[in-house]
Order: sequence, then structure tokens, then C-alpha cells
Amino acid sequence: MGGARTTYFLPRDLHPGAWWLWALGLAVAASRTTNPWLLLTILAVVGYVVVARRTDAPWAMAFRLYLVLGAVIVFFRVFFRLVFGGAEGSTIVLRLPEIPLPEWAAGIRLLGDVSAESLLGGFYDGLRLATMVVCLGAANALANPKRLLKAMPSALYEAGTAVIVALSVFPQLAESALRVRRARKLRGGTGDKRFHALRAIVIPVLADALDRSLRLAASMDSRGYGRAGTVRARTRLITGALMVVGLIGVCVGVYATLDGTTPRFLAAPVLIGGLVVALIGFRAAGARVHRSRYRPGRWSLAEIVVAASGVGVAVVLFATSSVDPTNLNPSLIVLSWPMLSWPPLAGVLLGVLPAFLSPPPEPPFAAALDVPGPQIEKVPA
Amino acid sequence: MTRFAKLLVLTAVTAAVAAVSPWPALAVDHTKGQPGFCATGTGVTVVVDFQQLGGTTIVRCFPQGTRGTGLDALKGAGFQVAGVARWGESFICRVENRPSAVEELPIKGREHYRESCVDTPPGAGYWSYWHAGNNCPWTYSQWGVKNRDFTQGGFEGWSFSLNATADSNPVPRIAPVRPGTSGQPCVAVVEPPPDSDDPNAKQPSPPVPAAPVPDGRGAAPVPTSTAGAPVPVPTGASAPTSAAALTSDPAGRVLPPPVPRSGSAAPQTADPAQNVAYTGGENAADVNQVVKEQSGASDYAPWVAGAAVVLLAAATWLTARRRRRARDA
Repeated sequence: MGGARTTYFLPRDLHPGAWWLWALGLAVAASRTTNPWLLLTILAVVGYVVVARRTDAPWAMAFRLYLVLGAVIVFFRVFFRLVFGGAEGSTIVLRLPEIPLPEWAAGIRLLGDVSAESLLGGFYDGLRLATMVVCLGAANALANPKRLLKAMPSALYEAGTAVIVALSVFPQLAESALRVRRARKLRGGTGDKRFHALRAIVIPVLADALDRSLRLAASMDSRGYGRAGTVRARTRLITGALMVVGLIGVCVGVYATLDGTTPRFLAAPVLIGGLVVALIGFRAAGARVHRSRYRPGRWSLAEIVVAASGVGVAVVLFATSSVDPTNLNPSLIVLSWPMLSWPPLAGVLLGVLPAFLSPPPEPPFAAALDVPGPQIEKVPA
Repeated sequence: MTRFAKLLVLTAVTAAVAAVSPWPALAVDHTKGQPGFCATGTGVTVVVDFQQLGGTTIVRCFPQGTRGTGLDALKGAGFQVAGVARWGESFICRVENRPSAVEELPIKGREHYRESCVDTPPGAGYWSYWHAGNNCPWTYSQWGVKNRDFTQGGFEGWSFSLNATADSNPVPRIAPVRPGTSGQPCVAVVEPPPDSDDPNAKQPSPPVPAAPVPDGRGAAPVPTSTAGAPVPVPTGASAPTSAAALTSDPAGRVLPPPVPRSGSAAPQTADPAQNVAYTGGENAADVNQVVKEQSGASDYAPWVAGAAVVLLAAATWLTARRRRRARDA
């Protein structure tokens, strides 16, 4: 038993798919509610798991940028309510002079009375979007994009390459910015004027990002990515069309499933149809790509635990929203503290399990987590 | 550290914003309006008839002598209403927590339908909006609740329309006759139907000092353009144009945006003797209490959530510090 436990908690990088499932589960849960208690709990859960389980890699260090982005989203949502007429509701907290607009701008109101209800509405709404963004940031911080690319099934090969390159742009930029800033600090360049500082950061960061993407493209090219092989142009066209149509169908279907206000015929039918078309495309594409894999990523118990905890959160919120929608979308007609019942809260707290039930990242951080680090031999992931 | 601080700030903001808000009032807000009919020609009498939802009809008076919208009258009389998340109070979704979020509406073709007040309610189950001058027949409103002004000395009616058609919308079962004025001539103000697509168009009225122009939801200018559209529309005819696709009638037809029409009103003034039993809403249950019981909310859950947030934030900060030290060492 003790042996099994030790093996389970051996420091290693988890399969990136597990982290993505976990984070997407939390994001889906966040999309189902505007209750600030739940959203703040999700944020706290995500923040703790990220800090406890991230590595020292550049993409892991970009998490704080997602937090900043979230704060900006919340700020702008509330700010727009302030500027474009926040008089929905009867508790006026701020009286601003209304700016009269010409006839053609009917329906838009500038400034004027601002009610607490509309400000809170903007805050709840912004907090929901911010939470979803932070969840995606957590996935980017925890999952290794390179291993994710490796783990892609060969059918998803082309689409997956593009998606992963796109996903890792933001963390790369963030890492560049941090590096350039550190370099400037070391050179003592902080006393400059603002404008000069901007130029001294932005240009190196952009140059760095461009250099790096060129290098990435070159290295991927040399490893055979994006090679069409010996397939006829027509087959390739059909396969590509099938995959694109299928993926669009999946996107529309997922959106309609998550957004309760879209017509239902866009939800399950389109999702299933898209999946079927995409699967046919994947089969066709997979049949022509032959890749061998060096040390494939394993999906073991820890991965299942992590993924299950994220999916569990989403399932609980889906279940409670069909049973009891009241508390997930607090009414703002009568101002009061948002109410909360136990099931959704317990569901959200499920998401913190990976902080305790997943193996810590590989050293150098193992030492900080009271796990004997350096003497443990590396385990193939 | 920064993350910890940020979380604290977020928590503090929620607390601060929520603390500004007053504690909610009771179901019928007894500080507003008066129970029963208006005694004089000043103000407007608001009738809320739950019809097939069950529940005693409520009659209250909004004794304001100056101009105001239908929404002002409804809320001013003390009723607690809820709009939909999409359009705000431009579309009245619940009055006195009916239909509640846990109540199953027997809507034909949509079994187990429950009103969550997120989007426009279906045409087969919504609050229909009526008005009448004293001693006049009830008239189905061609205007949205925020787009027309109530008639001084007249009536505003809210009647829940369930599985009804445009011709069979139930009229409020209280005759629009103030006690003691029976037999007096009808002094109705004829309201011209809307003639434009401007959702913020106001019902034309004699020049009066401008009242605050009601508006849809500020942050989303595009939906706003339909948000104030004539609000409760008859069965099948969905209210805002852009929502038309979402509220089709059971046959799946999507009807055009509201058009002026006539003849759906009761042909003549009902006899006050045929009024259903009504109250002034004196004994109505506390809406917040009811909602809380219906949703199974707990007083302790928010505290536990807050404690969890604080604990996790502290743990985050400690872990981050420990790891930073380990890295620097």
C-alpha cells in the first residue's frame, strides 16, 4: 500500500490532457452561473491548484497575466454599465449628467443615473467571463503544450498543430516580456522616460516573439510537421473539408449546449452531426499520416483523478442548474446578498482535489513540497 | 502576494457593492402604494390576476398624481417584480415570484417547463399587460411597460396568460371600476398603436415635462435596440424582434414583431359584481423568504464559500512564497 502511494505521488508532469479536461470542466461550470460566491470560489480553487502544481516553465509563469486580463474584463464590464446608461433597477447610487444623443442613436444612452443593480449585473457578468478566462489560463499554466502536441492523435495532426501553436503564443509573449523587463532592470534601465521604456520593451518583445516563432516553424518543418506526404490532392481536399466542416459543427454545437439561450436544435443535433463528420474526416486523415511515437504519454490513475474532478464540477453545476436555477443566476431585481445552496458549492470545491491528489511537478520544486526530490530517478511519464 | 491581494480586493469589492444595497423589502412592499382600489381619481389602480397559476388576485393603488410609466405604477404600488436577464425590466417575467423558478408550468408542447427568467418567456405562458380607464373595458396594451404612461384615475392590469391565443388572452377578472364610481361615463384615453420600430418610442402624450426616458440594458447597445420593444405581446407573437426565433408558438411558427391590432379586449366593461375575490396583498408571503426556501439556499453556505476563498487564497500565497524561496535558494 505504502509502495503504491509513493509511486502514485512520484514527482512527474501529468498528461496535459488531464489538466485541460480539469480546467475546461471548471470553465464550463463558471459559464453556468453568475453567482459571485461560486465564481470567487472557482477562482480561488484554480489559483491554488495552479500555484501548487505548476512547473517553472515559461508557460506556467504566464498565469498572473490571465489574472490581470480577468481584472480588466471585470473593470470594463462595470465601466460600460456606468457609461452606457446603468438605470436598470431602482436603487440609484450615482447621478451623472446625461449626455443627449441625436435621433439616430436611439437606444443608446450616455451616462445618466446609475443603479446598483446594473453595476452589480455588470460585475457578475464580467466575473463570469473573467473566471472562464482564468480557467483557460490555468490550463495553459499547468499543461505542457509540447507534450500536448505529442499526445494528439495522428488524425488531429494538422488542426492540433495550429491550435497548439496559437495557444502557446500568449504565454510565450508573457515570458518574453518578463525576460526583457528583467534584462532592463539588470542594466539599470528603469529610470528612463515612459515612452522610451515602452519602446525598449515592446520592440525587443516583438522581435523575440517573431524570432521564436520562426525558430519553432523551422524546427517543426525539420521534424516533418505539415508534410502532406504522397496523398492525392483530391483526397486531401475532401479530408480537409470534412474536418473543417465537422469542427465548425462541433464549435457551434458546444456553444449552443453551453449557452442556454440559443435554440435547442443548434445544441445536440449540430454537436452530434459535427462530431460524426469530424470523426469521418479524422479517420481519413489518420489513415494517411504515419507517425511513430517516442515514449507516449501515459494516462494513469492520477490523470483520471484530475480529469474527473474537473468534469465532476461541471456535472454538478449542470445538475443543480436544471434542478434549481434560482441561486445560480441571482436575481438583481430585488437587491440582496446573493443566496447560495450547498450542492453547487460542494461541487465547485471538488475542483481543488488535484492540489492534493495529483503528483507534484518534477524537481526543483519537489524539495519545496517536502517530497524527496533529487534522489528520485526520473520516471517516464 | 499580488494574487492574494487581488483576491482580497475582489472579495472586498463584492462585499462593498452588496453592502451599499438596502435590505430587500417584503413581498408586497408596504412602504409603497396602498392596498385596494384608489379612492380618488389621483393615481392608478394596479390589478394582478394570477389566473391559472392560482393565488388570490391582488389589487393595489399607486397614488402618484404625476406622470409615470406602467413599470413605475407596478413597482410603485408595491409589487415585487422580476424582469428577464436578457431584457431587464422591459419584460416583466415574475410578479410576486410567480411563476417561480421551481414551479412547473403546464405549457402545451413544452412539458416540465420552468420559468428561469433568463430569456423572453414563451408566448404560451407570460404576464399579459392590460390597461383601462375608469369604467372602461380592459385593453390589451400595444406598448411596452416602459413605453407607455399610466392613466390617472385608471387601471393597470396584469393577467397571467397560459396556453392562450391572441384572441383568448385572459382579461383581469376585476372590473376596472373604482368603488363608488359605477355608472359614470368611460373616460378612456385612446392610445395610438406604435408606428415605428424604435424600441424606445414613447406613447405620444400631451406635452409634459420630460420624464426619465427608460432604456434597455446599457452595456449592450445592440440588444438594447430591441429591449424596450412593446413588451408583453399576445400568444405566439414574440416580443422583441431579435427574440422572435426563440419564442415561437407551440406549432413552431415564428410570428412577426408586434403589430397594432384591435378587438382582443373584452368588448364591454365587466360588472364589478362579477369580480373575483381579491386582497390588497396585506398577507402576501415574503418573496425573498419563499425564494430562499424554494431554492434550498442556506444561510451558512455563503460564509463557508467566503471562508473557503480566504483559506485557499492564504494557502496560495504561502505555497507561492515557499516555492519562490526554494527556487531562489
